[in-house]
Amino acid sequence: MLDFLILGNPGNRRITLFQEALRQLELPLARVVSYLDLMAGRDSLHCSPHTVMRIESPGKDFEVERALLQIGAVCDDSESEYERLSVAALQSLVFEKGCILPSRQWYLGYCALLNRLTPQLAGVPLMNTPSDIQIMFDKRACHQHLQCHDIAVPQCLPPIENYQMLIGQMRQMGWHSVFVKLAHGSSASGVVAYRVNGQRHQAITTVEMAESGEAIRLYNSRQMQTYTDPRVIARLIDTLCRNRVHVEQWIPKAGINGKTFDLRVMTIAGRVQHSVVRMSHSPITNLHLLNERGDLDSILPQIGASTWAGARQTCERAAQSFDSLYSGIDLAFAPNYRHHAILEMNAFGDLLPGILYQGRDTYTSQILAIQERVIG
Amino acid sequence: MTINEHAVTFAGKRVSDWNPQIGIINPETTLYRIATEYDGPEWTDLFADFVHDPAISQVTGIVVGQWTMDVGGDPFRVIEAIVSAREKLPKLNALFLGDITFEESEISWINQTDVSPLLEAYPRLEHFRVRGGDGLSLGTLHYDHLKSLIVETGGLARRVVLEVMGAQLPELKHLELWLGTDAYGRTCTVEDFGPLLAGQLFPKLHYLGLRDSDLADPLAVVLARAPILELIRTLDLSLGTLSDTGVQALLDSAALTHLESLDIHHHYCSDAMETSLVEAMKAAGVKLDASDNQRHSKYFDAERHYVAVGE
Repeated sequence: MLDFLILGNPGNRRITLFQEALRQLELPLARVVSYLDLMAGRDSLHCSPHTVMRIESPGKDFEVERALLQIGAVCDDSESEYERLSVAALQSLVFEKGCILPSRQWYLGYCALLNRLTPQLAGVPLMNTPSDIQIMFDKRACHQHLQCHDIAVPQCLPPIENYQMLIGQMRQMGWHSVFVKLAHGSSASGVVAYRVNGQRHQAITTVEMAESGEAIRLYNSRQMQTYTDPRVIARLIDTLCRNRVHVEQWIPKAGINGKTFDLRVMTIAGRVQHSVVRMSHSPITNLHLLNERGDLDSILPQIGASTWAGARQTCERAAQSFDSLYSGIDLAFAPNYRHHAILEMNAFGDLLPGILYQGRDTYTSQILAIQERVIG
Repeated sequence: MTINEHAVTFAGKRVSDWNPQIGIINPETTLYRIATEYDGPEWTDLFADFVHDPAISQVTGIVVGQWTMDVGGDPFRVIEAIVSAREKLPKLNALFLGDITFEESEISWINQTDVSPLLEAYPRLEHFRVRGGDGLSLGTLHYDHLKSLIVETGGLARRVVLEVMGAQLPELKHLELWLGTDAYGRTCTVEDFGPLLAGQLFPKLHYLGLRDSDLADPLAVVLARAPILELIRTLDLSLGTLSDTGVQALLDSAALTHLESLDIHHHYCSDAMETSLVEAMKAAGVKLDASDNQRHSKYFDAERHYVAVGE
């Protein structure tokens, strides 16, 4: 019998759903170690020979975010000087809905925590590995990883540090439309679809800017914003760049029933299983932005069986290039369906409530897959 | 709302993406879309392959998708290529210039040009549809076979409206103009539509669409007392900013009940006005689409009313 151990935020829906899946399978519930307790030294992993480790998202908890930022505050950044909040500033930080906190610092903190755990996890079967999580939470690194494995991804620009560099590189490449994404942002946080046509500029984004004097703070909003003033767009991009961004070519996506779509594809044990079609009137299709869901069967006739088979294979090759049991892949098709590309890989992309594959939700499928992998 | 999908059908036929590896298969039932893409061949090279297909003479329609990946490129060379191929396309009766989605280009960013050489080279054309109003000119519209004319813009220039008002299109059944907004190049006004509204211009007109317009209310007011309303079977004022003012004027018009269908979807009517319209149309047996009331949209802003396809 396996002992599941979850590192996560107790009470989070992800953990509730995982425990529910265990209960349905008549397996003992997982022991949950909270990120906060672990970071405060109040708890530790205590792995046994039967332990199977599952690292859950540290998201949706302000205190956890603060603690990770605090770890990040004392981490060196070999790459550059990105935005930082001091330990003191973090102590007095008040939660503000949607406020985008220094994501590079958060990432450094999270990596430091994961690296601290790695020695304790030697020999423990893992549902997801700290190193995969670190790659997937770095959009630049993940893009490079996929490209090295010869997996179809949109082309990217070399690292940029500000809007001027962005414009210069777009001109050099002859590109007029790009996605600028926070390299360490999750879901649609800090994503800007930017395009330019002569003197006309357009930045479509969920990011709102709050400016007071020189200081600019960014907020994720549920509503799509469109900026057209290049000076405002420059300030937006410059502010995002202070937290490290990844820039990819914005390739038009295929549409269906009057909306563009992409797919969230769940791979488990290297195989494509669950999938959700995300339909949108905007170029940013992430699920929590109130976009509509569709199911794969309804769009398969339009995609075509052989195209879907090719895309499946791409997803499976991408999944197999990592060690983790599962991954959530964002996949898009070109309007003529002759090309497809992986837009993102999500370490915690398995929260797809109500989506079943062969009658099982994502958690049940994962539990069965890890049992097979460990017990045989 | 934005345009997020390429045409699935056009001129009553299915649209397929032209793929040189597959070639022309069912020209009787299928039209082909020719479009460039990132790192793909030039549009004119794709078209050159297309016209070399053994079945080219059977082709009845062409859908021109994105023609350039460069900023600001107009379709001059596309038009030139299609014009030059006229002897290879004896059956061509349908053309759609600009099947371009929002992700490919904002509608008002599409650079158009004088498309009259295309129309002149194919005088037997029955269906012509064009998207993008910037730089667009239709020229002198004297064609005996044209049945449907669709001009989709984010801002319709007065010049284009005047070209349509000076047209001689005796067979025209379907006229659809997307007026857009003044913010994105609409310079036409309600007064410019006088000859059309008088009802003599296109004697066979069945369908009139004045869509995606921030002038939907004043247009509805003049339409309500215009002879054209007695001629047409379908009135389409959808995608615009139609509100109670326009709908009340329409309800006051005796001719409204002669319609077979009325489409106002994407509108700004009050619930009471919407209910009055629904009941009146039901009583008169007129098919009505009053869906997508923007007052119920999560983006509703009482101060500003938007057309569906802007910028």
